[in-house]
Amino acid sequence: MTIPTFILKNALRNKRRATLSILSVAVSLFLLVTLLVALREITLPAEDVGAALRVAVRNKISIANLLPARQLAAIERIPGIAAVTPFTWYGGKYKNEEGMTFAQFAMDPKKLRPVFGETKMSEAGYEAFEKEKDAAVIGRISAEKYKLKVGDKITLESTVYPCTMEFKIVGIYSGTPDDRNMLFRHDYLDESSGVEGMVGMWWLRVSSAEEMPGVIDAINKKFANTSAEVRAETERAFQLGFISMWGNIKLLVTLVCSAVVFTLLLVTASTMSMAIRERFRELAILKAIGFRRRELFAFILAESFGLAMAGALIGVGGAYVLFTYGDVAKLTNGLFPSFEVTSKIVGIGTLVAAMLGIIASIMPSLAVAKMSVTDGLKTLD
Amino acid sequence: MKSNGNIVTIRNLSKIYQQGEINVTALDNISLDIAAGEFLTLMGPSGSGKSTLLHIIAGIDRPTSGECHVQGIDVAQLNESQLADWRNQNVGFVFQTFNLIPVLTAYENVELPLLLTRLNRSERRKQVETALDLVGLADRMKHLPKQLSGGQEQRVAIARALVTDPALVVADEPTGNLDSHSAQEVLKVLQLLARDAGKTVIMVTHDPKAAAFGSRSIHLEKGELSN
Repeated sequence: MTIPTFILKNALRNKRRATLSILSVAVSLFLLVTLLVALREITLPAEDVGAALRVAVRNKISIANLLPARQLAAIERIPGIAAVTPFTWYGGKYKNEEGMTFAQFAMDPKKLRPVFGETKMSEAGYEAFEKEKDAAVIGRISAEKYKLKVGDKITLESTVYPCTMEFKIVGIYSGTPDDRNMLFRHDYLDESSGVEGMVGMWWLRVSSAEEMPGVIDAINKKFANTSAEVRAETERAFQLGFISMWGNIKLLVTLVCSAVVFTLLLVTASTMSMAIRERFRELAILKAIGFRRRELFAFILAESFGLAMAGALIGVGGAYVLFTYGDVAKLTNGLFPSFEVTSKIVGIGTLVAAMLGIIASIMPSLAVAKMSVTDGLKTLD
Repeated sequence: MKSNGNIVTIRNLSKIYQQGEINVTALDNISLDIAAGEFLTLMGPSGSGKSTLLHIIAGIDRPTSGECHVQGIDVAQLNESQLADWRNQNVGFVFQTFNLIPVLTAYENVELPLLLTRLNRSERRKQVETALDLVGLADRMKHLPKQLSGGQEQRVAIARALVTDPALVVADEPTGNLDSHSAQEVLKVLQLLARDAGKTVIMVTHDPKAAAFGSRSIHLEKGELSN
C-alpha cells in the first residue's frame, strides 16, 4: 500500500456519497462552463480585420428611430470613410412563423463587399445581388434551416412596413459572425413600402484604424443639433450596446455563476465535513500511531481536491466535448453560432474546482488539527 | 533523569482537567517506575485515572505538572511534531475498540505505521508478515476487518502496534469488547510480547483475570496510587 492508495481507498469508502458528490460538482461545473461560454458568445468582440474598421451609425435617441437617407451624402464627404451603406431592418415574417426566424436587412448591394469584407459568397451571387431588384442573399445557417437554395422565391410580410415583399434568393453567404441574416436591396424596400428617404442606420468602413476615432468624432459632430442626431461607434461598442438592451445580461450571468460556485462550495464543504466527521476516531488513531497534523491535512486536502477534480473532469470535460463536437448552432437555431469552450474557460472551470477542493478541506482540516488524540478516541463510531 | 533500567520513570505527575469552572483532578502527584520488559497492569474503577496515566506515558496526553520520562526522554517537553515521530518509533497502541481502518485489509492496517518510515515495499512486507505471524494471523492478511472475528481484529491491532518494533506497547482495555476465549488469546499474545520479545507492556484493565497475565499490577483510586 502507498499513501495515494490509502487516500483513494478512504475517498471511495462510501461509494454512493462519493459518486453523488462528484456528480453534483460535475453538473455545477458544466452549468458554470455553459454560462461562461454563453456570456462570451453574446459579448464576443468582432475579431476580423473588416470588423475592426467598421462603424455603426444609429439614431442617438434609439436604434428604433429611423435616420434620413439624405445623411448619406454628408457622411460620404467625411475624409477617411471608404464605404457606407444604409442598413434597415425589415422585420419580415416567414411562412407565418410566430417566433423569431431570421432577420432581414435592406442595404446597398454594391457596398456588401466593401463594408462586410469577411462575407464569403459566390461571384455570381454578388453580381446577381447588384443587378436584380428583388435579389436577396441569405446566411448559410438560415438557408440550411429553411432548406432554401439559390433560385428559390420567398415571400415575407413585414411587421414594420405596411407591405409584403417577394424575394429571389441569389446567393448564400457565410464567414460572418452570424450567418443567419437575409440581405436585400434598399431601393426595393423604398419602392415596395412607399417609405422613401428613411433608413434604419448606417454601416460604414473607414480606410484605416488610425482614422477610426477621427471619423467617429466627425460623424457625431456633423449631425449634432440637427433633427436626427446620430451616435457613431465601433462595431464592438455597438454590439455591447445592443446586448445591453436586453438588460444587464453580463451582471445577470455573473450573478448566476456566483450562485453556482457558492452552492458548489457548500455541497463540497458539506460532503468533506461529513466524510471527516465520521472518521474522526480513525484520524485520532492515525495521530496516535505517528501521523502528524500536516500529513492528516494532506490526506484531507488530497481527498477533497480529488473529488473536486473528478467533478471537473466530468463537468468541464463533458462541456468541452459536447460543445466542441456537438452542433450547438443547430440545437439553438443559430442563436449561438460558435459556442466555443476556450482554453481560458476550461482553465476557469478547473481553477474553480481546485479552489473548491482546497477551501472545502480547510474546516475539516482545522477540526482535525485542533482535535487531541484522547478527544478523538472518545468520539463515537 | 537516570533510568536505572527503567523504561518509564514518573515523578510527581498530576493531571487536572478543567470542566467549565470546575477543576477535576485525574492524577494526583503520582510517582512510578516501570522496568523494561515488564508486563504492568493498571487497575482501578472507572474515573480512577488509569487511562489518563496510560495516555501520558504514551505521549497522547500531557501532564499538568510533574515529569514523565520514557527511555530517558521527557515526553511532555516534546512538541506536537516531535511527539508524533516519537510515538511512531517507540510506542505501539492497542485500544478497546480495535480501531482498524475498515477499508483496509489486515495487511494494510498493519502496514499503516510503516508508511511513515523510510522502509521500502519489500522491507515493509517482511515486517508486516512477521508481525501478523507473531499474532497467528498470517493466513488472514487479505481479510478486511469485517471479515474477522473480534479476537482476530484485536490481534491485527496488536500486530499494528508491534510492526515498528517499539520498546513500549500500551493497551487500553484490550479485552473489553471480547468474549472470554478471544480475551485469553489476546492476553497470551501480550504476555508473549513481554516475556519472549522483551517488550514493555502496560495494560489498563478492570478485570482481575486479565490483570493476572501481567508481571505486576498497580491500582489507582481517585487519581492516586493505592498500593
